[in-house]
Amino acid sequence: MKHDSIKSSLRLVVAAIVGGVIAREALPEYWVYLATSVLITAIVLQSLGLVVSRAGMISLCQMSFAGVGAWVVGWLNVAGAPGGLIVWTLIGGLAAVPFGVAIGLPALRLRGVNLAIVTLGFASAFDMVLATINFPGQTNFLSVARPALFASDGNYFVLVLAFYVAVSVGLEFLARSRLGASWLALRHSERAAASNGVNIPAAKVSAFAISAFIAGLSGGLLAGFLGTVVSSNFSVMQSLAMFAVAIMAGSFFPEGALIGGLLVVLVPQILRTFGLAQDWGNVLFAVGATQALSTGEAISEAVRKVARKIPWPRSTKAGPEGVADGKKLPAPLRLDRSTDALRIEALSVRYGQLVALDDVDLSVPVGEVMGLIGPNGAGKSTLIDAVSGFLAHYEGRVSVAGEKFDGRRAHLRARGGIRRTWQTTRIAPELTVGQYMRLAAGRLREDQLRAVLDWLECADARMLVSSLDAGTRRLLDVAGAVAARPAVVLLDEPAAGQSYDDAYELGNHIARIPTLFGSAVLLVEHDMDLIRLACSSVAVLDFGAVVATGRTREVLDDASVKRAYLGIAEEAMA
Amino acid sequence: MEGYFSAAVAGLGAAGAYALLGVCVVFTYRLVSVVNFTGASIGAAGTFVLVVLHQAGLGVLPAAIIGLVAGTLTGMLIGSVMTRWFAQASASTKAAVNVALLVGIVSVGLRLTGGQHPKQFPDLFPGSAFSLADVQVTISALVALGVAAAFTLVSDYFLARTSLGLQLQALSENPKSAELLGIRVGLLSLVVWAVTGLLATFAMMIIAPARSPDFMSLSLLIIPALAAALVGAFRNPWMTFAGGMGIGILQGLTSNIPHLGQYRGTIPLLVILAVLLWTQRGARWDEAR
Amino acid sequence: MSQFMVAGLEVRRSGLPVVRGVELEVTSGRISVVLGANGAGKTTFLEGLSGSIPISGGRIVLDGTELQRARPGARARAGLAHIEEGRTVFRHMTLDQNLRVASHPSTKGTWAYELFPELKARRNTKAGLLSGGEQQMLVIARALVGRPKVVLIDEMSAGLAPVVVTRLMRAVRQLADDGLAIVLVEQFPALALTVGDRAYVMRRGRMVYTGACAELKESPGHLHHLYLGDSD
Repeated sequence: MKHDSIKSSLRLVVAAIVGGVIAREALPEYWVYLATSVLITAIVLQSLGLVVSRAGMISLCQMSFAGVGAWVVGWLNVAGAPGGLIVWTLIGGLAAVPFGVAIGLPALRLRGVNLAIVTLGFASAFDMVLATINFPGQTNFLSVARPALFASDGNYFVLVLAFYVAVSVGLEFLARSRLGASWLALRHSERAAASNGVNIPAAKVSAFAISAFIAGLSGGLLAGFLGTVVSSNFSVMQSLAMFAVAIMAGSFFPEGALIGGLLVVLVPQILRTFGLAQDWGNVLFAVGATQALSTGEAISEAVRKVARKIPWPRSTKAGPEGVADGKKLPAPLRLDRSTDALRIEALSVRYGQLVALDDVDLSVPVGEVMGLIGPNGAGKSTLIDAVSGFLAHYEGRVSVAGEKFDGRRAHLRARGGIRRTWQTTRIAPELTVGQYMRLAAGRLREDQLRAVLDWLECADARMLVSSLDAGTRRLLDVAGAVAARPAVVLLDEPAAGQSYDDAYELGNHIARIPTLFGSAVLLVEHDMDLIRLACSSVAVLDFGAVVATGRTREVLDDASVKRAYLGIAEEAMA
Repeated sequence: MEGYFSAAVAGLGAAGAYALLGVCVVFTYRLVSVVNFTGASIGAAGTFVLVVLHQAGLGVLPAAIIGLVAGTLTGMLIGSVMTRWFAQASASTKAAVNVALLVGIVSVGLRLTGGQHPKQFPDLFPGSAFSLADVQVTISALVALGVAAAFTLVSDYFLARTSLGLQLQALSENPKSAELLGIRVGLLSLVVWAVTGLLATFAMMIIAPARSPDFMSLSLLIIPALAAALVGAFRNPWMTFAGGMGIGILQGLTSNIPHLGQYRGTIPLLVILAVLLWTQRGARWDEAR
Repeated sequence: MSQFMVAGLEVRRSGLPVVRGVELEVTSGRISVVLGANGAGKTTFLEGLSGSIPISGGRIVLDGTELQRARPGARARAGLAHIEEGRTVFRHMTLDQNLRVASHPSTKGTWAYELFPELKARRNTKAGLLSGGEQQMLVIARALVGRPKVVLIDEMSAGLAPVVVTRLMRAVRQLADDGLAIVLVEQFPALALTVGDRAYVMRRGRMVYTGACAELKESPGHLHHLYLGDSD
């Protein structure tokens, strides 16, 4: 991972140096001035990209964070604080962070729209407050001092470019880190992310705080650029328009921020040459954003799609061949066999009058693959949700390897030894297979990662999840859960929709999970062939209660099981 | 004490408008599952039509009626975009589209209503109704409060007893099942947008004379409305009504306090934060995903 | 006399094929029973028919009208009613209101009480508080208000006691005898096969058996095999 980050960062830096030198030497002064403006806007859009495109949250007050940065730089300037503009800008960025945390924290749970409401309220309140405070130094005509080295417009352009590159490199590393993967995961499905051990509120706050920091930086740079700023630079409309541009240009990819910056700076210029008012630019952004949301594709994404079709000269060097060698797999978990891997006692779940689970007792011993079957509505999903921590309340006790888990939240259960897969796969398509595996299973060496993927015949670690078909994604879900080597893995219909042969293969793999990884397995399935193949024992649920448990063959031949599946006993049908 | 009381009463005009706008937000959310950030801007559009026509010489009443129609149509336009392309979209996508539409409508509004001539906002219900402890309670304020209360009352009755109301309840509870029963969900959604557009325009026409005549700041009055809706948990129109009242009165009160008065714009934000902190203790995560 | 025909239906869920090349036919006065273990694709099949989810291939024809491209509301108004699984009553409305919301100018809701007299006593109870059997009767009656020609019923017996299921099955047979064409999806074959005319069995998204209900009823072993696979 680090390797990839360094490679792409180097590419960025080189491109920036080349582009910067060309711009500074070749462009007329006014264009250098505009280019600086583009870059400052691009930094704001990168902050939005983090929050909106990666973490999937709506923030309508980015320019207010920028305003915090600008005002702090202004005060430090008037106070003659040491360090110069560069240090002041960094402090300005840091000053924006507590604002981000303070308004982000209350809004991070439940309805996602809450954050949009809070940030809009903040933007408006901040705007009104800012309007009553003059920019520090404004009344004395004291302009923000640029460092001597970057005093000229051309050199200031280079300074802003340096900040832009630094932010981009930082975001590249973040994007490929586990934190970056957890942002994408929680954007796609908070439940799935929690089931991989991600602490959702912490991840969201960190995204918001970092984005506030970056926006604060841009404000400081703007103050240095213009010398003095006014509250209308950071008005509500500015924040809203930035949001629309971020959506239209697509701030997920770094070039999206640049495209957005170009839009923001050049569109008004173009309108002016045609004698049109600048408000129409915002209308264009509004229409563009709506269009991008309805097609699901922003400008930078469309550009990437086209670019992929062009036959670039590609390196044909293939990666080292992976061998499905059991020895390379990560070391299996070793559990004490005297306690059960999973023990469920007196588990009951009620929704008002409806009893979903009725006093269920179930134990999965260490080293066992147990099947859980039952007709529709019998309570299998409810049981999995209760055990893995996705139900708010249940009665009874759940313990894993002797440790009581009741009262623990889902992500702590995931970290503590229970992993589960989902009936509908909820893996973020923007991740690579390798990123997802590392998110699910923690630190894995390259060869260990490849060994797990090869064992399941899943996919190459470099492939994007979006290029995998749904069946392979299901396998990836299983691979991630298993590679984490929890005490018990709960598999929820992993073979659904698969062909007979693939399901057969999967059944064989599942049967070997305890040997290879040390985890016990509870397998929920409707495919009886798979159950027969993979499970040494089976439990049958009907109407929320366990009606049979025991060795697989005996249970499946049992009359009560047939009744559960076929309704009234066979004799009654005649 | 008297100073505070009169300041509170002075805030009643805004209180009524916030209550009415807030109730509109709640019903839009309940019935068509959209958090409507554009609510106030729709009202502003209709209000400016009133202003322009009135300045051109038309009487207040006909100008107001045309303005109300304009606001209703604007609401239906926004609603048709939301329904046509985003009916099945996630809540975040719908919110993002709504915000984008807000940018669009405000920009168009600023463009069409900007300019040199100062706008004169006619007071639809001029004069005061009675005085309470030396403070005039304006007819405007009473009308706004009255309409908000009446709307909440009538809609409760309407939803429960009329067949159209029943269909709206079905739409709100389970649009998929409703459609399978042959209920015309698209048409019903437009009706919801039309009614809330009409009422939002009415609310804005009442509050506009007391505010700065700028399309943007009128559109931002959606914020106290959203705060009121949060007080009602986006579900309970009476609590929303109370929330809107409370915010308006609070704003009136603080405008009296010497140094804090200029910061009364932060009150909606503080209410939002307080409500969220209170309701989300013990909550888990976004259940929808 | 109505005729409903499905040919080559393909439905995908998140890219996975869940219904593959399914054919079915039913006419007025007849009940076609669709059986299969859970996960076979029966519910997805009905959802594709009613338009709740889009299909990726195939034809749906009701009395000569092709419905595969119509929106769910249009299909309902064309005479195709879908009673979803899970008894999707409007919980906060009373039983009577649930019937009235589906009201059609040509019907008054009162005949529902003729079909299910048990419901009369509960007309003003909130639908969420009714028993499972009452809710199932309600959703059946509600779907019939619009005078459909074809009714798709998804697992109405799920979670209900046998005596209630018997009652419901008798009502369904009555409805067919009165002229409706019914597609009855069930997980529990016993009672369904008693009232049905034609039987279809689904497994892994495909129809693995088509024949007369009476024949399948005679051979429970065959049915067990179709459902649960071989015991080796």
